[in-house]
Amino acid sequence: MHSLWIEFLDHVNYIGAACLFVVGLYTVITHSNLIKKIIGINIMETSVFLLFVSIGFVSGAKPPILAVGEPGGFFVNPLPSALILTGIVVGVAITVYGLSMVIQIHKEYGTIELDEIVETEKEIKTQIFRKQDDTSHV
Amino acid sequence: MKHAFLIVTLAGLLIVMSYSFIQMPAIGSEEHPAFNEVSQYYLQRTAQDTNALNVVAVIITDYRALDTLGEATVLFTSVAAVLSVLVVAHPKPNKKMDEENHG
Repeated sequence: MHSLWIEFLDHVNYIGAACLFVVGLYTVITHSNLIKKIIGINIMETSVFLLFVSIGFVSGAKPPILAVGEPGGFFVNPLPSALILTGIVVGVAITVYGLSMVIQIHKEYGTIELDEIVETEKEIKTQIFRKQDDTSHV
Repeated sequence: MKHAFLIVTLAGLLIVMSYSFIQMPAIGSEEHPAFNEVSQYYLQRTAQDTNALNVVAVIITDYRALDTLGEATVLFTSVAAVLSVLVVAHPKPNKKMDEENHG
């Protein structure tokens, strides 16, 4: 039990990233509000960023900024940070596109609750079928 | 019932992820496979290759500049998609036409 606790503390960032991922997935699945779904997707993204940046950490090392006139030194892994900078931009792009679609959905339906949108669609479909029945009788 | 099933599934996912993360090298260990010769090369050669100090900025804008160009393409595509959704006029289809299409 004690060794398991030590293992947990040695990987606490990774396990925190896993918890964040699950929280984001729960938000995406359970909430019917579209903006809350997008917030959940952002939480999942953030968990992946946390995982990557934690992988790059080296204990006792300096941040990867070289000092003038001081060659060498022991630095943190710079590659995951550089990759995650790209990942953040991609996440912003996805968020912006999702939010713009939410705006259009709100214009069209007057609501951003997914269950209300589904109800509206069902009503429209039943009305169309009823009209078809009327015309076929005549 | 549905909610309980969801919570059990997500707890299982959390357990699987935590178990696989515990198999990884500890945080801050130098033996992590990500801290390999590529990162060492960037750290050692940045000063003489590029005369810059910030290694992360050098990786983004110099060593992997083509990657950053692709990133700019992603941003441009996103802006174009947002404009096509928001700004471009979507004419509402004629109501009679709409009913015919459904029928």
